Amino acid sequence: MAVIAMGMLFAACKNAPDNNASKTLEAIQGEEVAVLTDAPNVPPPITRTHATKVVVNLDVIEKVMKIGDSTDYSFWTFGGKVPGKFIRVREGDLVHFTLHNMPDSKVSHNIDLHAVSGPGGGAEVTNVAPGQSATFEFRALNPGLYVYHCATGPVGMHIANGMYGLILVEPKAGLEKVDKEYYIMQGDFYTKGKFDAGGLQDFDEEKAIAETPDYVLFNGKVRSSTGANAFPAKVGDKVRLFAGNGGPNLVSSFHVIGEIFDKVYMEAGTEVNHNVQTTLIPAGGASIVEMKMDVPGVYNIVDHSIFRAFNKGALAQIKVTGDKKPEIFNKLK
Amino acid sequence: MKFFLTTILVTVFFGGIFAQQKTVTSVKKMVVIPAGMYEPFFITKANKPLRVASFKMDETAVTNAEFLEFTKQNPKWRRSKVNRLFADSNYLRHWQSDTVIGIAHKNIYNSPVVNVSWFAAQAYCKWKGKRLPTVAEWEFAGNGKPLNSKYKSLTDFILEWYRKPNPPVLPNIKSTYKNQYNLFDMHGLVWEWTFNFNSFISKGDSRGSTADEQKAFCAAGSLDVKDRTDYAGFLRFSYRGSLKGNYCIANLGFRCAKDLK
Repeated sequence: MAVIAMGMLFAACKNAPDNNASKTLEAIQGEEVAVLTDAPNVPPPITRTHATKVVVNLDVIEKVMKIGDSTDYSFWTFGGKVPGKFIRVREGDLVHFTLHNMPDSKVSHNIDLHAVSGPGGGAEVTNVAPGQSATFEFRALNPGLYVYHCATGPVGMHIANGMYGLILVEPKAGLEKVDKEYYIMQGDFYTKGKFDAGGLQDFDEEKAIAETPDYVLFNGKVRSSTGANAFPAKVGDKVRLFAGNGGPNLVSSFHVIGEIFDKVYMEAGTEVNHNVQTTLIPAGGASIVEMKMDVPGVYNIVDHSIFRAFNKGALAQIKVTGDKKPEIFNKLK
Repeated sequence: MKFFLTTILVTVFFGGIFAQQKTVTSVKKMVVIPAGMYEPFFITKANKPLRVASFKMDETAVTNAEFLEFTKQNPKWRRSKVNRLFADSNYLRHWQSDTVIGIAHKNIYNSPVVNVSWFAAQAYCKWKGKRLPTVAEWEFAGNGKPLNSKYKSLTDFILEWYRKPNPPVLPNIKSTYKNQYNLFDMHGLVWEWTFNFNSFISKGDSRGSTADEQKAFCAAGSLDVKDRTDYAGFLRFSYRGSLKGNYCIANLGFRCAKDLK
């Protein structure tokens, strides 16, 4: 009833789910505290076969961190890193969510989780001043991989400063077992100085409004996931990427050079597409992609809007080790 | 009771002159803000440009030293005595004790007092025969042009401050800039309480929920916001929208205002 009423109220801003209000909710058994991870790590798969109350405690932390090897930026974060902590729950779970804004914060923040059915995705009930906390509960009705982000005004600035992350609502039956799971999230950044200008760089609102980023990054930093930090895998591994796009502005042409996605959960929903080269990830959207790593080597993950990869930082890597597979790929001469 | 009232009167009118303790500063200087039009940040049917009558405003934020005097003379506003309904557990937490700021904090006597609730701020102003400024008064006064700022725009200056973490030791009053009304530090030192801080619409979700709010904020943008590029204004109104009257926050202070008459 409440969901329907809220849905009507919000029809102009956000479409409410249309098929869940009438479903009987699963009984909640027990309680657990959610394991939260920083990218590229993902909490372990859920093996529970019942719904439970999941306690999520997330801190808002404003801090200066490296955006490039020699350049700093004043990030606003969910949990101290960009992207924010990965949250993993099961379809039907009751999520008991507390957002705490650290006392040292300069401004107020809130959270809109796209996995929520309710006003503002939680934003309305979580606007927290520095040093304060807000708690609300929601039922994870729809399975899928969802973006969460700050929705305090000016919304674009909060997102541009790094305030986004992913929450996975695993379907009741769980996801198919794979060998490796990684968390990767794209975002565009706008600084007063040019790419890799050095020093502490400030947010540039004019560039943000013009949608001309200086940085397009995976996991919040130039070379966050390359070289020694590449995602490791072995020949024959099935790798699943939980891939999100925080924006605030750009749509990602998500591609892994030298691989084909065996499966793409399109827009991170339930429909699966096969044999995909490049998949679009909207700003404020996500995708789940899976690929079997057949041949050893380094595989570049890029936004195939390609200047972003080679001039603005949108490059991550999967490093696959193991025996060569000349029957699949072979250098002849 | 008579003695108490006398004390108040003496403090209001001669507090600085007769006080013996070195912590007490001189009587707070107030400046006259001329009348003018304040354009609300959210221009809707209900929020039309407002005429702000001429009023007086403290030239700086209230300092720790000044607030110390208040707690000495008003025991119910001491840290250990205050009613939690009127000030949360962070109330004056940066002081050593009820009536001692502390040697470890000797540099903050002339810094703005923070970790004070709206109720405490309002009580302080009342004790001084003043009141908190309204949002309209504060914003109108805060929009005054800087007289000694190196920034190309006030918004740039404010945004740079918003981006920085709180300093470990809050700088003293008059350490930022003076504006055209001779007010100091309207931006760049602390956030400040206003009388009607929660009467504006940025309640929780800054993108609007009720039909009225949607006008200003549906899906994060708005045609009704006065200046959509005024990021500093957005942040200030979001901050005010997140407050409750008993909150005490490490970067939130206040200054008092007064009608002219």
